[in-house]
Amino acid sequence: MGMDLGRFIKSPDFEIRITTYRDIFQVEALEHDRFGEEYKKLSAAITMSKSDLGKMGLKSGDRVRLTSNSGSVVVEVKESKRDEPGGIAFMVNSPWSNAIISGETGGKGIPEFKNIAAKISLAKEEITPLEKLVPGMQA
Amino acid sequence: MVTCTGCALLCDDIEIVVENGRIKEIRNACRRGTSRMKGCVNRLIPSIYQKPSDIDSAIRKAAEILKSAKSPMLFGFSNSTCEAQVRGIGLARKLNAMIDDTSSFCQGMLIEKVLQKKFRTCSLEDARNRADVLIYWGSDAQDSQPRHLSRFSYFPRGESRQRGYEEDRIAIAIDVRESNTAKICKGHFYRIPLKGDREFILALIDALSGKVPSYDTKKILELAGILKKAEFGMVFAGIGLTYSIKEDTGVLLTLGDLLPNFHIMPMVGHYNMRGFNESLFRETGFVNRVKFNGNVIHEDKYSILEILKEKRTDALLVIGADPLLSLPGTVVKHLSAIPVICIDPCTTLTSKIAAVTIPCAVSGVESDGTAVRMDGEVIKLSKVVENNYASDEIILNRLMEAV
Repeated sequence: MGMDLGRFIKSPDFEIRITTYRDIFQVEALEHDRFGEEYKKLSAAITMSKSDLGKMGLKSGDRVRLTSNSGSVVVEVKESKRDEPGGIAFMVNSPWSNAIISGETGGKGIPEFKNIAAKISLAKEEITPLEKLVPGMQA
Repeated sequence: MVTCTGCALLCDDIEIVVENGRIKEIRNACRRGTSRMKGCVNRLIPSIYQKPSDIDSAIRKAAEILKSAKSPMLFGFSNSTCEAQVRGIGLARKLNAMIDDTSSFCQGMLIEKVLQKKFRTCSLEDARNRADVLIYWGSDAQDSQPRHLSRFSYFPRGESRQRGYEEDRIAIAIDVRESNTAKICKGHFYRIPLKGDREFILALIDALSGKVPSYDTKKILELAGILKKAEFGMVFAGIGLTYSIKEDTGVLLTLGDLLPNFHIMPMVGHYNMRGFNESLFRETGFVNRVKFNGNVIHEDKYSILEILKEKRTDALLVIGADPLLSLPGTVVKHLSAIPVICIDPCTTLTSKIAAVTIPCAVSGVESDGTAVRMDGEVIKLSKVVENNYASDEIILNRLMEAV
């Protein structure tokens, strides 16, 4: 299947707001093997409403780059199975969401885990491997 | 019957079949608990500077690092038994160290209010026997404490609630996301905008005080009507709510005053986070973020996050936690610049960069002890599998002797 390169050439940035949540299947995978493919597959993803995906010219299964003031990460985008009103994207809490969360807390010790401002754009790269997210960690 | 350490519900109705020293079958547990009790595929091995070692040498090296540090810190403890937590607090005291746990960036704030008796609360059995209105606020129990609704809140029969969810109970979800829990609260899901909890509480306070709420008037008045009629109400406060209102817990107290039949229960994830909070509170009057220096100092700057961000520790002992996995990437950079001692049953992201790793038993499976359920009830953990792994309590005891 030929790749539609045109999509990448014009791939624009969109501002999004992300909130994190917990998922029982991802926690199950975490307890079993946090270095495994299943944990990566269930973590390195962002879920959005059908209408938001449409506005941004994205489709389920695309890889996207998420960039915030704190970092940048490539994950897979998924369409929400729920009837979401849009405006908020969702990520399961994991090193992939932590890569773009700010450490700024106003000295209060609690980061904004559930309120991340980021830019999203279509990405050519592979999903960011775990080793790249963790400073000093060997594969 | 065995107690599950998958989450802070500490379900004590688990049946385990052990064959040849291994778990063959687990009955009654949820997906999360089963996975935890079955254990990880990559057990931790003792190591020093990432080279395999023996456990005695690893403990000696860990003691040496902690003793020679100017500003040591101990962190984790939410997946440790109460006995290990008490040892950890003792070790921090002996070392004049800082100590913090995962509640520091989770439910610590609300648990502190419960322990200070600022919130009216109750036991999970009270909820099961008496509660008729259940609010899951910023909490997706179905995914985080998967048997909460079936054992204690919405579904079971209780002494005064013989018709359970069909007639006797109303479950309400207030959340930014239509979670799996919200799906169950059919017709009573209130979707709020991100960081919209405070505004929602204020509108509810207006409605309960006889004023017309400015925000989503019809739905808020309808909700206030349900809450006023409650005979025994519960607010299960999730981290969605905690993160949103942060230190502004005063609005929650005001709401509580207007709802005298309601009880607030912080929803705890890790199986013994509340145990650590209670132990430290008993010893120091604080639930987390403490520095010992002959006296006790409690300040936000002693939170794990601020300490790592400001690079104010030169040796960190991590037990039963994985800060490299759970904290923002920018904050944990400091961990690769200092000696980290990691005590855990499994290889973790943090153990991969640790100067010393010390494997321990999986508590509640390979070692016994006690833990504190999310409502404060002390629950016994049992040892069901015999093997050579030392409990985290024994390891901390040995460290205590060696420093």
